[in-house]
Amino acid sequence: MLLTMFLLGVLYLAFLAFLLYMNVSQIGIILFMGGFMFLQYFYSDKMILSSMGAKIVSESEAPRLYEMVRRLCQNANLPMPRIAVVRTDMANAFATGRNQSHAVVAVTTGIMNRLNAQELEAVLAHELTHVKNRDMMVLTIATFLSSIAQIIVQWLPFIGFGGDDREGNSAGGAALAFVVSLVVWIVSIILIRTLSRYREFAADRGAAIITGQPANLISALQKISGQRVAREDLRRVEGPVSALFITPAISGGIMKLFSTHPPLEARVAALERIEMELEA
Amino acid sequence: MGFLDALLGKTKLPEAKTDKLFAISTAAITLETTLGYRPDGAAAVCIKPVDSSRYDAARAEVEELLKLSMKDTGTNYSIQKDEYHYVWVVLSDPDFEDLVTGVQMVSQILTEQGFGTQLLAAVYRFKGEATLYWIYNFKQGAFYPFVPDRGRERDTLRELRLKAIMAKEMPIEKDESRWYPMWGMPL
Repeated sequence: MLLTMFLLGVLYLAFLAFLLYMNVSQIGIILFMGGFMFLQYFYSDKMILSSMGAKIVSESEAPRLYEMVRRLCQNANLPMPRIAVVRTDMANAFATGRNQSHAVVAVTTGIMNRLNAQELEAVLAHELTHVKNRDMMVLTIATFLSSIAQIIVQWLPFIGFGGDDREGNSAGGAALAFVVSLVVWIVSIILIRTLSRYREFAADRGAAIITGQPANLISALQKISGQRVAREDLRRVEGPVSALFITPAISGGIMKLFSTHPPLEARVAALERIEMELEA
Repeated sequence: MGFLDALLGKTKLPEAKTDKLFAISTAAITLETTLGYRPDGAAAVCIKPVDSSRYDAARAEVEELLKLSMKDTGTNYSIQKDEYHYVWVVLSDPDFEDLVTGVQMVSQILTEQGFGTQLLAAVYRFKGEATLYWIYNFKQGAFYPFVPDRGRERDTLRELRLKAIMAKEMPIEKDESRWYPMWGMPL
């Protein structure tokens, strides 16, 4: 995971250096994007909750959910997050919120119906570990320059590069900027997704340790990933990192490199190793 | 948990702080003399069980010693699982000191066997103008009052007054958002 973070850092530094070298009027874009990402980060909890149709529930509405999360938080010494429920038959869960004190953990009614108490607890522990690990922050930062590269790639063909170019080779500069941004965009996405998969493994591991029972998460994952339901509901949430799901909203399929979550078999294998560690 | 651990995604459960458990002994005297709350002969330790044979061995050792002390001090015990699959070691003894020793013993054995991380809470029941529980949060090493009212309500006013009066006598959790209620305790 460290290597991935390091590579991403190097890539971004090189990209920034390139933008500066190109004497860019793109600083405006960077500031604009920075502002945008900051707002997204800041309001992520509200944005994601409303886009998912998640409703914050009170303790009297979901007493068992509260009790489970409360005990997990007590055991792991974490502050209590807010709890939300999404009314959909699709089984999923996610965490969002910019930091521990603004965290929200949400579950769908589908997942509550399908999992038993201990499996649900394992899923909640997975999401709580995302909160504890500050994955929202980590992935927002990781995505920042990647989004700028993406914007340049998508808009450069239309707007040209940086207005008046003193050397008068505007077309050549624009082409170079396009190519560099494209490379940065693609490589950074691969790195970000790699990082994301590491964070998922870490959250699985955390859930296993907090609950003390890796087997519960294994059976929960197997139950949820066996589902064949329409995925349209969640599609619009994919894209910018705004929530951390227990299973991907869209399964990557074609290319493992671009998947946000490790494949089920790898997650189960990792959890089985933790089971051995607990035994040893 | 440190920032670096979070950045690297490492999860370690905090170890149990058992050193403040005894504070309830002296606090019980003040509770009785100034507030009229008497120990109610029951206490419990709540444990998050682990899937591992080492844990099973530790649990067997706990049970062994509980049997011994039952003969020795007359402390009765029962081990139960609640609806969230947490394990409760419930002790009953009219002698409060024996209860405190029992709770201390259970948490000490588990800590020695490497399962201190699985200790969630210790609970002491008191009787007075209301039923009062003092819950010891092992992760924080502090007590907090829990006075259940009708239904799933709690008597917050009473709890806050208890905190104000008892703060000098025992370590009390300062962050009231961590005064986690525990409904349906087996004691």
